[in-house]
Amino acid sequence: MLRNIIFWITQKRWFLLSILIGSILYFLESPEGLSIEGYRTLIIVIMAIILIIFEPIPLPGVALMMLFLQVLLGIDEPNDVAKSFMSDAVFFIMGSLMLAVSIVSQGLDSRLALGIIRLTGNKTWCIVLGFVSISAFLSSFIGEHTVTAMMMPVGLTLIYNTSKDRAITKNLAPLILFSIAYGSAMGSIGTPSGGGRNVIMMEYWQEFGLANITYLGWMRYSYPMLLLEIPLAVIILWFTFRPEQKVLDSAVRKLKIQVAKKGAMTGQDMITIIVFFLVFLGWVFLSHKIGLGIIALMGVFLYLVLGLIRWSDLNRNTNWGVILLFGAAVSIGIQMKETGAALWLANSVMDALKIISEDISVLRWVMAVLLTGTLTNLLSNSATIAVIGPIVLNMGGDPIIMGFSTAIASAFAYLTVVASPTCMIIYSSGLVKQSDYMKAGWKMFIMSIIVLFIMSKIWTIY
Amino acid sequence: MKFLIAVGSEDYSGPTLRVGMEVASAFNASVTVIKVGPKISEHSVSQVKLTQERLEEWDFDSPGVEVLEWAFGFLAENQYISPAVVEKGFPKNTLIERGKNRSEVYLQGTTGSDVSLILRNGDIISELRDEVSSGQFDVTIIGGSQKRRMAHDLIQYLDSSIFVVNQYDHTKPYKLLVAVNDSHNTSKAVKYGVRVSQAFDVNVDLVTVSRTGTFKSGYHRAVNKAERLLKRMKVPYKTHLLKGDPIDIIKKTAGNDHIIVMGTSTKNPLIKYFRGSKPLKIVKTCPCPVLIVK
Repeated sequence: MLRNIIFWITQKRWFLLSILIGSILYFLESPEGLSIEGYRTLIIVIMAIILIIFEPIPLPGVALMMLFLQVLLGIDEPNDVAKSFMSDAVFFIMGSLMLAVSIVSQGLDSRLALGIIRLTGNKTWCIVLGFVSISAFLSSFIGEHTVTAMMMPVGLTLIYNTSKDRAITKNLAPLILFSIAYGSAMGSIGTPSGGGRNVIMMEYWQEFGLANITYLGWMRYSYPMLLLEIPLAVIILWFTFRPEQKVLDSAVRKLKIQVAKKGAMTGQDMITIIVFFLVFLGWVFLSHKIGLGIIALMGVFLYLVLGLIRWSDLNRNTNWGVILLFGAAVSIGIQMKETGAALWLANSVMDALKIISEDISVLRWVMAVLLTGTLTNLLSNSATIAVIGPIVLNMGGDPIIMGFSTAIASAFAYLTVVASPTCMIIYSSGLVKQSDYMKAGWKMFIMSIIVLFIMSKIWTIY
Repeated sequence: MKFLIAVGSEDYSGPTLRVGMEVASAFNASVTVIKVGPKISEHSVSQVKLTQERLEEWDFDSPGVEVLEWAFGFLAENQYISPAVVEKGFPKNTLIERGKNRSEVYLQGTTGSDVSLILRNGDIISELRDEVSSGQFDVTIIGGSQKRRMAHDLIQYLDSSIFVVNQYDHTKPYKLLVAVNDSHNTSKAVKYGVRVSQAFDVNVDLVTVSRTGTFKSGYHRAVNKAERLLKRMKVPYKTHLLKGDPIDIIKKTAGNDHIIVMGTSTKNPLIKYFRGSKPLKIVKTCPCPVLIVK
């Protein structure tokens, strides 16, 4: 009995610690200048961050806790909490996760394989460039994990066609897999539909009355950065995992044969692409009127109506827990703004920075980007933006530049396996080690920050 | 009896599987070989699953299946599974999902009862604990992990006896060191020791250690009882009554050419958690396999 209790305590130690910290903070006086509701909102944020990083309880449980604590701690009324929980950004996250299931299930990966090979030929460096570019391009429209899921069979086929002996492909395997994962992560900054966090930032701009950015307007800011990053990422990956094979001649030939066996493009494949293209057109031309989330849901509706996906498959493969978590995180983000917690935190950070230097324009930017970049490697990137967004937008400076910098920095999830689903997907192949993430990730992280800094200077003349 | 053998990879788990199967054969036990894959973060679990479904369409196996395939090859090569099963090859298509993150395949065995291969994903301590308690295993066999607290947690939280295969070399002749004291777990440890010594056909060193050099009557009774059993089972043995720190003495006597068998600590679980126990310290410090009998 005692042994079972000790086991439970060791398994749930971070949960117990978060409750303990929350309880202690609750009985302390709120800091000067911060409302009691704001203080209690920050207590929920601290508890949630501990629980999301260490996962001692299921993540949907964390989401539920974030919601009911808002009511129990007297921060807001039940109906208002419910209203702040659901928004177009959450609709978008829900819709994009379901779109991903619909698209991935169609088996378009073999078409993708053929396209890549036709484009790149059989030189390894060309293939790596192709993987990074195509992953980045596609993920900028349909989201990073969708692209990674489709690119993985192509990448693994090339690796295993080269050799089944892991010693022979010990550099080639991480080179190709990281090309997919990092390419997809980089690409997700390209358009609002690249990731839920982009839509959350757009929602905050609108909600706080700071800006109204359109789909193409977003691309104008982010796409130049994406194009700059692609060759730099290829160079970093190539020199980190110098492959033993400079040409993948027979592997490419075998892949072509495997793809040929899968037959010609079917009508279903065509309809899948057409529906997504319609969704894309909707995002570009209608999103400022009816919202990105509503358009994503319309796309899912079309896939269901046309019989391209069954509800049972959507239900089974959609991560409902993540949707709950993002909804709760957005709700807390809005409470941070409403209760003044975000402004108080932003002012506190500014005051601390002023001790270092009177001119904080660069320091403020560095602080926002580093904080977001670090948290995104520990939490999920959308949850990071949901929590950090309101603080950063209160830190002063140009809200568009600060907002873009923060949203883009949340894509720098290169350092850990748990940083994003794309990192976890390539890790689950068993062909990359945890240490590989650091090996390549820190270079990608620094390169991305430098490019983002240059871009933030260019954005001032937009 | 039921034995559970935890394997990690082909590179590191060969000795564990080899010695595990030899010991299981000695007990005529049914064996389950388990591979616990990494825990997938809840953020990513659906996306990883979706990707794996695509990979299956391209004829790629789920991660971890290759380890079970290697285990199958080992069992086949060493004739632990019936020739009819071997002839059919590794039955990955019959790897059936049973519950969350758990797949299983049955193989007809040649020694003891059948052999099962299990693939699970998640936190290794929780998964093994769950498997041991639901499968009612008597002994769990694991490799000597470098991970901090891994051995501590397994010894502390698993309901079964634990055999930690530290630095086992199958080409080397081993002897058996059975640690005897006045605790009630000693008599079960001696019984296990007899079965292992018969399986490996090796001599037994019965070692009793006292810090002061004086041995209470309980110690003598335990030694006499162990000697009677060894005599009856015709196992050659030597008795050593030694003075000093039990952990240092056992470590020194065992060297790297003994398999140590000892009973689990009878200390309060809370004390064991914070201060450790003799079996735990021996597992951590001795460069040889250790069987801790519960």
